[in-house]
Amino acid sequence: MTEQIERPRIIEDETMVDADVHLSISDADLIPYLDEPYKSRMKHSRLGASPRDGWDRSVSGKIEEDTAGVQSPQAIKSALCDEFHVDYPIINTFGLMSRNPEVEWSVALMRAHNDLLLDQFLDVYDEFKGLITLTTQDPAAAAEELDRVGSEKQIVGAYVHNTGPNPPLGDPIYDPIWAAAEDNGLNVAFHGSANGFMYEFPRQNQSLNQFLGVHVLAHPWSHMLTLTSLIVEGVVEKFPGLEFAFLEAGLSWVPYLMFRLNKEYSIRRSEAPLLEKSPEEYIRDQMYFASQPIEEPNEASDLNSIIDVVGADSVLFATDYPHWDFDSPDALDRHLRDAFTPEERTQVLSGNATEFFDLDL
Amino acid sequence: MADEEHVVARESDIDDGERLIVDIKGRDVAIFNIDGEYHAYINWCAHQSGPCCEGRRTGTTDASFDRETLEQTLTYSREGEILNCPWHGWEYDIKTGECLSRSGVRLPSFPVQVDEGKIIVSF
Repeated sequence: MTEQIERPRIIEDETMVDADVHLSISDADLIPYLDEPYKSRMKHSRLGASPRDGWDRSVSGKIEEDTAGVQSPQAIKSALCDEFHVDYPIINTFGLMSRNPEVEWSVALMRAHNDLLLDQFLDVYDEFKGLITLTTQDPAAAAEELDRVGSEKQIVGAYVHNTGPNPPLGDPIYDPIWAAAEDNGLNVAFHGSANGFMYEFPRQNQSLNQFLGVHVLAHPWSHMLTLTSLIVEGVVEKFPGLEFAFLEAGLSWVPYLMFRLNKEYSIRRSEAPLLEKSPEEYIRDQMYFASQPIEEPNEASDLNSIIDVVGADSVLFATDYPHWDFDSPDALDRHLRDAFTPEERTQVLSGNATEFFDLDL
Repeated sequence: MADEEHVVARESDIDDGERLIVDIKGRDVAIFNIDGEYHAYINWCAHQSGPCCEGRRTGTTDASFDRETLEQTLTYSREGEILNCPWHGWEYDIKTGECLSRSGVRLPSFPVQVDEGKIIVSF
């Protein structure tokens, strides 16, 4: 963080890689990509892919999510890329099946999501990149999926929905997934959700009285659980070539967890015997954090300090388009323009994503 | 420089409870009709610059708490008077332009007058 001396380029002239763009796939969309008996199940079942949890996302009808902008690559181009100056959308399916109880069904849904993504969204524009959706109940199946579609040209990473997988994702049962990701040269992006909250935090889902509380806690709680598990179980040391990104929880939770892990690691080192360095070093070396939903301190400049602590070399620009808490690029960029060098700004808007997703810009 | 007057519509163009968004000198300006009174605001949310004036009109929920009985009472009021930005749901009182969640934040407004059935916005 330094004094700004040079006038920053306008956002239209910056290369922008958006680390978190979602599809909105309906049950009917998936039918052509499912094999029997799942194809017929999807046709006839009212359960579908995404059982809902009863929470009102709309605030009694005040806000409504418009997903028309992600129904085709052309729609994404117009509604996101042209409107918000995003050059490279990193598209994930927002598949939530990792929270589901039925293993085979979840694996079938995983494959269908990936085939749909490849078939419909990634071969129109070279700039559109995708993340393979992985489900975690059957780690061998997830590893096979990485081998099946991981070498597709437009695939630049893996997406894991991490609100719901049990046990937490550092557990050794998942090692085959991380090994396959490392072997395929694909880094892993974790994405929490309120949709998995009822599985991951059932007591709280039952007892919080408002969706506001559920949504505020779902993403950081999931990420804190995942990150802690990856560090304490030594996943970061077992797979040194693998990097992880955490999407959709903003940034301010990171310094607290990082420093708390440092503290406890020094007291209880023998419980994490694989580690060769401090948790903070692993986090800084192997982890990235997406900006959205950027926090809103009453004193805006407080967030500059947070970005600085997390590190301009660890933050990924993301919009979360088209969800109701998405960020317009300026929400982050106003901080970058205000308190960071042009080089640091470029790093956040495209450089870090280029490294993490190994993009050829 | 004195404000210019812009005839944006006739009264019959904006029914009670309706709105009209017009371009005035390159700016999106929304004119709302509430009970025959007109309110004009810039279509630009204070949060992240979303098109707030295109959002849904609803009422809103408030609460009071009685310290003696420990009872909370919910009320729903101002139906049709609350504007919700379509991007992130920031709420504004259409009669005053005030943001409901952040004190001191308000939508920039423009004077509106009616002359012989014509709605005139000045800025």
